[in-house]
Amino acid sequence: MNVGGGEDADEVFDELLKKHGKVVYRKGDSKPPVAEADDDAESLSFAVALAKVASDVKAGDIRVLFVKPLVYWTRFFIIATAFSRPQIDAIGSRIRDTAEKQFKRVASGDTKPNSWTLLDFGDVVVHIFLPQQREFYNLEEFYGNATLIELPFDTQSSFRN
Amino acid sequence: MCFRIIGAGNHRYAHIGDVIVAVIKEAVPNMPLERSEVIRAVIVRTCKELKCDNGMIIRYDDNAAIVIDQERNPKGTRVFGAIARELRQLNFTKIVSLAPEVL
Repeated sequence: MNVGGGEDADEVFDELLKKHGKVVYRKGDSKPPVAEADDDAESLSFAVALAKVASDVKAGDIRVLFVKPLVYWTRFFIIATAFSRPQIDAIGSRIRDTAEKQFKRVASGDTKPNSWTLLDFGDVVVHIFLPQQREFYNLEEFYGNATLIELPFDTQSSFRN
Repeated sequence: MCFRIIGAGNHRYAHIGDVIVAVIKEAVPNMPLERSEVIRAVIVRTCKELKCDNGMIIRYDDNAAIVIDQERNPKGTRVFGAIARELRQLNFTKIVSLAPEVL
């Protein structure tokens, strides 16, 4: 389209202005706030379910962080400590099974148990650390501004005194 | 200095997300890593343009890599500077989660 020449250009601009108006609108493809809240609620229930599973396998010090305001690429972090590699394996496979059976989601990330095992479900990312690694990487401090989500069960009860 | 690209047959250059074997030519004192040590690292920034799937082209001001171990855990605790989102698809989510900024 040639917009360079006199009247033609004016007509084109008039048309565009009529169509779109003079003020800047938000993009049409962004979701209404209600739908976004629904999405968040879905992810939240998923995250809490995964945290519950981790606590069933006696993972220690489980934290669920709402990191959506800080990073765009995910919504929730679950950080948990396991005390041995077999336990990391157990937590990882249990979480995978639950996610697949109940929520039909498949994790990417580490397949083998590792001193820092990461399961990536898209909007929920699960980190399972050995105590040493957890202290070393100190993710909680890095995401210190994130809101901590209260869990409906007691994580401390998994410790046996 | 890089001398081998892991998992790439006979490729001459490494791009973002490639794991390389490298040797440390220079190191600051009092660090766990020393000069002339052989390490693995993943490329995170390149001056050469990276074409994304969505049509974006990213070009950084510098070349940068992150030292990792055999299990793909980063050796350090923090990542400085911006990181491309392609690293997440390549299963480097650990590095992405330590980065302050993701493009």
